Amino acid sequence: MDETVNNPSMKKSFGKSLLYALPMFLITFVFITGGKPDFSDPAGTLAILATFLGMNILYFLMHYTGKTDKFRAIIFIVFALSLSFTLIRNMLEIRHSMSFSQADIVECKIPFCHLVIPMMILPAAFTKSIIFPGTILGGFANISSMAVLWLVATLVLGRGFCSWGCFYGGWDDGFSRLRKKPVIKKISDYWRWMPFAVLLMVAITAALSLTPTYCSWICPFKAVTEFEQVTGMESAAKAGVFISLFLGLVVILPVLTRKRTQCSFLCPLGAMNSLSNKITPFTVKIDKKACNECFKCVDVCPLFALTPEDVKNGKVSIFCSKCGKCVDACSRKAIHYGIKGIPAGSMKKFSRNIFLFVSFLFIAVFSSGAIITVIKSIFNLFI
Amino acid sequence: MKKIKIAAGIFWAILCLLLILVLFPGLNNFSSGISRFPFMKINPNLTGGEAAEQIVMKSCTLVVRKPVFDGLIGERKQGFVQIDWRGNLPEIISDTIDYDLDKKPDFVIRIGRSESSTVLKPLNPKVRKVGISTPTSYGWSARIKIEK
Repeated sequence: MDETVNNPSMKKSFGKSLLYALPMFLITFVFITGGKPDFSDPAGTLAILATFLGMNILYFLMHYTGKTDKFRAIIFIVFALSLSFTLIRNMLEIRHSMSFSQADIVECKIPFCHLVIPMMILPAAFTKSIIFPGTILGGFANISSMAVLWLVATLVLGRGFCSWGCFYGGWDDGFSRLRKKPVIKKISDYWRWMPFAVLLMVAITAALSLTPTYCSWICPFKAVTEFEQVTGMESAAKAGVFISLFLGLVVILPVLTRKRTQCSFLCPLGAMNSLSNKITPFTVKIDKKACNECFKCVDVCPLFALTPEDVKNGKVSIFCSKCGKCVDACSRKAIHYGIKGIPAGSMKKFSRNIFLFVSFLFIAVFSSGAIITVIKSIFNLFI
Repeated sequence: MKKIKIAAGIFWAILCLLLILVLFPGLNNFSSGISRFPFMKINPNLTGGEAAEQIVMKSCTLVVRKPVFDGLIGERKQGFVQIDWRGNLPEIISDTIDYDLDKKPDFVIRIGRSESSTVLKPLNPKVRKVGISTPTSYGWSARIKIEK
């Protein structure tokens, strides 16, 4: 089959790519600068410009090269690193420590993150209250803003949030790219259901104890953000769990498997977002007519979202985070971004253009604050 | 039917595009809106509950909060009462607390701020032990575990 006839490349000419990048250029400029650029601080101005230009170059390259994943991964990984840096810096400035104290809990000053959301639902329904010691409105990472951001992103992107919005996912995404070939190749697909078990467990334990149990006992990202001050055996055990899970699931296993193992096997929010893949209009489709069942897409999928059976059936599973790795790997362009309702193999470019615009705009604006803070800190060292 | 499905898919996708476009400029408004939902308040197990009594002393104010027994459904048998000391605190805090407001003292608490020591003397069998005792930005807070 002549793939260039039936399966057009997603590449665009330089001029056309510029044209497609122009709306993103203008919108991100307005959103990142707030519409009122302030040039009084040289380091801040340079940081904003660098962030803005860097992001728009990545978006332009997505159109120009027709590839998605490698450019998405750059911003996604930088976002994860920047967020941890920003959070740690913020905590060091406010608390002079990476750990939070009992006073921070008593005063409800803990920054909120989206991983708490699965634990909030049952208590919110039964007790009409939030079981997190943060602020509802105002302050750093308040509950209302984070809930709105997650809600809209999940509605729009489904599990795409896990590859285009989550400020933790970049950690294991980054480590999963360090080796060219995996050391551990065979991992049972059954493990991909594990996050549902974790979701069930933390939802029940959080509801019964009225405390966010995943944050208190499991979350591996406590190791790179904030954790409870070690004051006794219990807090030491917690710190041990956080560090072990971070090293195991975010560093070592991703390096050995080239998979995002924390996202695939542990994250309860990932499980919840998988269900939201049923609502979002954007999806990844398999054109069975064009597919030659080489299963390259199965091999490269970092989230175990594709099995040979899925490919044979022409359906991507609910675990798909729309990262674009399979889309980029398919030489026949049989697997592609799509919109629900549009048959597989049709309107590929249109679907990709809309999906890229929506998902990139979200990550670009959402990540810009943290990235600007980091770049500004780097510039401040020299200016 | 096929055309209707395609049109519905595209319509939903464009609606999502518009949603993302208004998300960031409207984030403050959306957040304020969502914060007004009845469940958008922090659980008393974390806030420490509402203030029941305030006693203004020489250099500080003692706030005795309402006991918290809140569970997922109904109340638990075990809970806590939070006491806050606000203002300029003495080096040694020593107070007799009547948390159930029955005019009878329930416990005596003595806090040594410099060595972070807290000694509890229960005067009521419902008073169990010290849960949390910590310096705060406004002074000092202690949570005493109690039974119903």
